[in-house]
Amino acid sequence: MDSGTITVGVAGNPNVGKSVIFNALTGSQQHVGNWPGKTVERAAGSFTYQGREIRLVDLPGTYSLAAQSPEEVIARDYIISGEPDVVVDVVDATSLERNLNLTLQILELTDRVVVGLNLMDEVERMGWELDVAELEVELGVPVVPTVATEEEGLPELVEATVEVAEGRRSTNPVQLDYGLTIEGHIETLQEDLTRVGIEERSRWMALKLLEDDPEVVEAFKRGDLTALGLAAPPASAEALQTLLRQAVRLREGTRPDAKVEIVRRRYELAHDVVHRVVHRVRPEAESVTERIDRIVTHRIWSWPITLAVFLAIFWITIQGGEIAGGWLDAGLSRLIDGARAWLTRIQAPWWVIGGLVDGLLVGVGTVIAVMLPPMTILFTAFALLEDLGLLPRIAFNLDRPMQVLGSQGKQTLTWGMSFGCNVTGVMASRIIENKKVQLTAILTSPLIICSGGYGAGVALVIALFGDRALPVMLSLVFLSLGAASLATFVLNRTLFRGEPGGFVLEMPRYRMPKWRQVAWRALVDRVAHTMWRAVQFAGPASLLIWILGNLPPGAPFEGTAVGWLVRTLAPLGDPFGLTGEMITALLFTLPAKEIVVPALAMTYGLQTTLVESEGVLSALPQMWGPLSSYTFMVFFMLYLPCLVTVWAIWKETRSLKWTLMGLVVPLTTASVITFLVYQGGQLLGF
Amino acid sequence: METLDLPQWFWPALSLLLTVLWLATLLWRRRRPGPAETSLPHERVEAEDILKAAYAEEQKEGVLRIGDLSHRLELSERMIKRGMAALLDFGWVERDAEGGMRLTDEGKARAQELIRAHRLWETYLVDREGMSLDAVHAEAHRREHTTTPEELERLDAELGHPAWDPHGHAIPAPKCGVPASPGRALSGDVEPGDRVRIVCLDDDPAPLLAQLVALGFKPGVDVEVVERQPDLLQLRVDDHTVPLARAAADHVFAVPAPALPLELGRLPVGARARVVDIKGSGTRQRRMLDMGFVPGAEVTVMRRASLGDPIEYRIKGTGIAMRRTDANDVMVEELEDG
Repeated sequence: MDSGTITVGVAGNPNVGKSVIFNALTGSQQHVGNWPGKTVERAAGSFTYQGREIRLVDLPGTYSLAAQSPEEVIARDYIISGEPDVVVDVVDATSLERNLNLTLQILELTDRVVVGLNLMDEVERMGWELDVAELEVELGVPVVPTVATEEEGLPELVEATVEVAEGRRSTNPVQLDYGLTIEGHIETLQEDLTRVGIEERSRWMALKLLEDDPEVVEAFKRGDLTALGLAAPPASAEALQTLLRQAVRLREGTRPDAKVEIVRRRYELAHDVVHRVVHRVRPEAESVTERIDRIVTHRIWSWPITLAVFLAIFWITIQGGEIAGGWLDAGLSRLIDGARAWLTRIQAPWWVIGGLVDGLLVGVGTVIAVMLPPMTILFTAFALLEDLGLLPRIAFNLDRPMQVLGSQGKQTLTWGMSFGCNVTGVMASRIIENKKVQLTAILTSPLIICSGGYGAGVALVIALFGDRALPVMLSLVFLSLGAASLATFVLNRTLFRGEPGGFVLEMPRYRMPKWRQVAWRALVDRVAHTMWRAVQFAGPASLLIWILGNLPPGAPFEGTAVGWLVRTLAPLGDPFGLTGEMITALLFTLPAKEIVVPALAMTYGLQTTLVESEGVLSALPQMWGPLSSYTFMVFFMLYLPCLVTVWAIWKETRSLKWTLMGLVVPLTTASVITFLVYQGGQLLGF
Repeated sequence: METLDLPQWFWPALSLLLTVLWLATLLWRRRRPGPAETSLPHERVEAEDILKAAYAEEQKEGVLRIGDLSHRLELSERMIKRGMAALLDFGWVERDAEGGMRLTDEGKARAQELIRAHRLWETYLVDREGMSLDAVHAEAHRREHTTTPEELERLDAELGHPAWDPHGHAIPAPKCGVPASPGRALSGDVEPGDRVRIVCLDDDPAPLLAQLVALGFKPGVDVEVVERQPDLLQLRVDDHTVPLARAAADHVFAVPAPALPLELGRLPVGARARVVDIKGSGTRQRRMLDMGFVPGAEVTVMRRASLGDPIEYRIKGTGIAMRRTDANDVMVEELEDG
């Protein structure tokens, strides 16, 4: 460590307020980074405390350090690496026993640990008394009670951390007794490890060998322990492999199963500790959670409630999006007019004015005006539901129907988010820990109609179908859901065939959302980040579209690049009843689906920029018959995600293959469905 | 330096006192050869080893000869004779009319107890500690002498009343009906549908024992009571139903069979249960364990989702939802209410 800098790893179970502590301490200095090669994010930030710089690293939330998931590997490797001077273990005091399972595992890796006993306010509310001093004695490391949301106890937590880091406070972690048999094996293996020159963490390594820990076993198999935090390989590969064989022999001869017994012993100690430190001072009344759950998961009532929640969110998203979008639009056109006037006054050449104003400004402005309001509302709403604890209940109720598709309940949440914005849907897939289901959720999210496509779609549908707009729109929504279900079903029977992933989900207690947290997470963490990316993609794309529509300069429509594209792409659309103009317009909507109307205006040669126009809406019904109109709408709703969604897919998967699949899956599904609709419609004589 | 003026009788008196004390210690030890002693004099271990050999020899040859024993134990006849003297002192052997030796009932009981302890320890060491078969003998031998009857019964219960040791030798049952034996005679109050585990068969009368064993009754075997008639029990052993006369059932001792573990997914809402085992392996099993589903943990069925699946369970103070198929990997025994 640098002199004066203290590095602190913040570990803990998911949903215990780790990030709240992290954000409260680091303030606005937080930045989000990635671990190399992994999709899981960690955040690092720093702050100054009494002249020392303290660097906090927020580790992914895990129940264990068993290296069974990427999160666990990351958290464990970071603790093993020796980089943190202290590990702060944030513990949910209301669920102490389960949380201690992780604490005890951390204590096996390092003795420089401070336990942050969070959610102490809820403990009080539940009528418990928690003997913090006794817990400190039991664990042998400092324990600091906190209420992170109120920032209570945080100064003490930092103080204890600094004391441990600087060695002013010594720790003496409890050592687990795994019972005669396993302790005997540990001793044997430890002796062997010492013989080949491994002293550091030999007990832990012996334990992990007996537990058949995949990472440790793999390291011994390769004969290279650098992954386990040992600087230089102290022993030959053969010696390590011999040791591994010895461990396998010991493990296989152990009854009951060493793996089970080790976890059992750990929980046994946790149970005893909890028994000694937690006292119930008044009987627990039926908890609020119980009462709410009885309604929310009711056999009948759960359905209208779920439906109402989703409908309410979409209604607010669309209404609020319209209003705020209107303001943004108004501001945008003033900005555009101002910019045009100013550029004209300084006598800029036409292509500068066109490129900057009609290309860049209009494109970027439209994306912001149409994406920012719904995204903000949606993120906030879901962050609220998440904090409240309602989302897991929805996943719980909707798991059964999703089983039929070979998926699970959590995927419905990503779809729900996708109705607002595909980007948020893709990013929400993070909550699914099963890799296959997560990928399915990512690949099928673009098939869900986002509020952008919905908004632009409504305008088009009203223009094209007039009185029949409502049933048409509803059919499109159901078609989109059907397409996503179909794609899920097919993916689970082709690409992701095999063992169906299980569904294990923690059902947290309901909590009152903390506004500050929600706002932070929704606005800073997600919206700002995502919008910035949107601008980065929309800018160049809309500039390119403007260039295509205006080059060569002064040429008639047929002579421009757009005209050429329309002619070239026309044959592609034949089987689907799509014209060259339609396909080119759809290509233009890649930055954002909302610009579909001006894009159509451009491809029909009605205008040369993406500026909003009403003229095309009245012209289209004459050009397209009802079948053509409907096929176009179907294809438009399903065909490809916007570029920002593609970027989000890339960000979540970090794989070119899956990003391409994110394009292929919707495109294929859209093609198949559009083909069926068009050919079927023709057969029926429309 | 002043000379110490001791009376004439001092030295003889001291000698006499020491002799008496020495004799007293001898007598004292021989009067109480209790098995409860924790630190065993070396002779006792040796004596018990000779007792076991003598028991085996008598079982095989019908008589006890110093020469055979010496051969068996690879000890000189002089050593064996000294050992036999100790056995006589313990009351484990007695001289018969012809001047030969034979084991007393007490000696036979102690020998059986030792063999039982030895084989139970071997079973324990192999099953629970993973020792290899060839290595267990010495360790079991060391432990058999220091195990009290109570400890032995606990060990037996923990191992699930095994019938055979890892070498394939039968583990002798404890003396049936004596307080140390946990079993009750099968002829007692059993009801149709009960499942019991046999812990002990009377070895007297011998023909009955042979017949029982031939029918499949062995310590460690679970039987189900199919039907109960006044003089006859219909019992299901393995896959067939066997009739057993009530008189014969008097010689079979059993304990209630441990409840068969259930799959967690089969419990109704509101039920409480204790986790017995987690099936499967790898990540799935590990995840379950880390969630708190460890053997011994208590779990409550909270509620089902609107469509019946998944199901929410409360374990270690936390609500965990999972599908029935996943829950079925958790084996539990249901707990009574209250």
